[in-house]
Amino acid sequence: MTRYLRALVLILPSLILFAPPSQAEYGDIVINNYSSEAGMRPAIFPHWFHRIRFRCKVCHADLGFKFQAGGNDITMLKIIDGEYCGACHNGEIAWSVESCGLCHSAKPDTKTQVHESTISKLLTGKKK
Amino acid sequence: MTNKSMNKKVSPLLFAFTASMILLATPASAKTGEEIYNVSCAGCHATGVLEAPKVGTKQDWEKREAQGFQTLVKHAISGLNNMPAKGGNPSIKNEEIIAAVTHMLVKSGFSQYDKPSDATQTAAAAPAVAKPEPAKAAPAAKPAKAKPKKTKKRAVNRFNRLMKSSSEWNLPPMKDGIHDPENDGTEVLQAPRDAFDALPKASSGNRVDWVAALQEGAIEPRYDLHDPDVAPVVMDLNIVREVKGSMPNVVYPHKQHTEWLDCSNCHPAIFIPQKGANQISMASILLGQKCGVCHGKVAFPVSECRKCHSQTKQAKR
Repeated sequence: MTRYLRALVLILPSLILFAPPSQAEYGDIVINNYSSEAGMRPAIFPHWFHRIRFRCKVCHADLGFKFQAGGNDITMLKIIDGEYCGACHNGEIAWSVESCGLCHSAKPDTKTQVHESTISKLLTGKKK
Repeated sequence: MTNKSMNKKVSPLLFAFTASMILLATPASAKTGEEIYNVSCAGCHATGVLEAPKVGTKQDWEKREAQGFQTLVKHAISGLNNMPAKGGNPSIKNEEIIAAVTHMLVKSGFSQYDKPSDATQTAAAAPAVAKPEPAKAAPAAKPAKAKPKKTKKRAVNRFNRLMKSSSEWNLPPMKDGIHDPENDGTEVLQAPRDAFDALPKASSGNRVDWVAALQEGAIEPRYDLHDPDVAPVVMDLNIVREVKGSMPNVVYPHKQHTEWLDCSNCHPAIFIPQKGANQISMASILLGQKCGVCHGKVAFPVSECRKCHSQTKQAKR
């Protein structure tokens, strides 16, 4: 196990080096749990925009968002009922669900990911 | 002569400024426009990426040139759209920017900028004259002629070839690669740079030092969804983790973490709240476990080794 980890430590930095440069903002989350099936563009959650306005705790403790891209079973019905994004995106704190294109703004069929994350760079390297 | 006296009347300040710049610049030997261009401008302006006007393509420059030389220089110095201020290198002097802009214009077919005649040109040409090296008294036009090939070489063999240049950081949604420019909403979304301009800078991640931003009050994120006055429950306790080898020990500050997070975010699911109970390795962090649940995704990335490994070991043992 430790040998495996050691090998990983040696290989990982080189993978980071050769991963193609991605463009979008660090910490942008693409969520494509149901979007593509439903014929919608995947949603993008920009962490940077939200952390200027709220501390992590508000969403990740009070609203119950798990620390995992795609790990939260978010549906439009739940949002309309005030769960998850719907706690703010209700027309009171932030714009409401009618503004589809503001969230569902990713290029069609973009996969669920934490954009620019260390792990996504490692995986991109592996595929090469 | 009349021209000269007019210039003197119109811009004594400019002359004083230029003269002082030259005096200041001489010991550090200001670079020529071409040198600056090769190092700091060619990355975009030789290829025309990110909508940069391409050197050698006159129509790219016509509209911009029509706004006036001073406007061009102003935009080059303070930045505009994708053009970062001074090409992303604040150490370039203003006169060098003037020289570089002149160089690009000349190379793009605006031959009127080739002669050191008007006031701006004096500023551009003066450093070259002030330099001790080109004592051959070769006019600025001559060395500029034979160099376009060299430009290409320099761009290819530039430093940090695989790293993003500063002009590729914090791109607006329309250009960031994951937002769909065809989507109606994309254009409405805020560009990160608009928000980050006022925030303290960092060298990785969002290029924003979020912890400093919070401490300085540059941002005031709510701790409660509805009530902006709820204060966070901050716990000031440092945990020192001794690590193997020569790496400095890790100092984990609860303070900075509890400013943002609730205890339940980390305990007990990610970290067992007990000394010595957690196995943490850099490999697991790189793979998104432990500290890597946030660091390397939204919090500063693991390339910032010293931010965590901050306690230098005593020379004992």
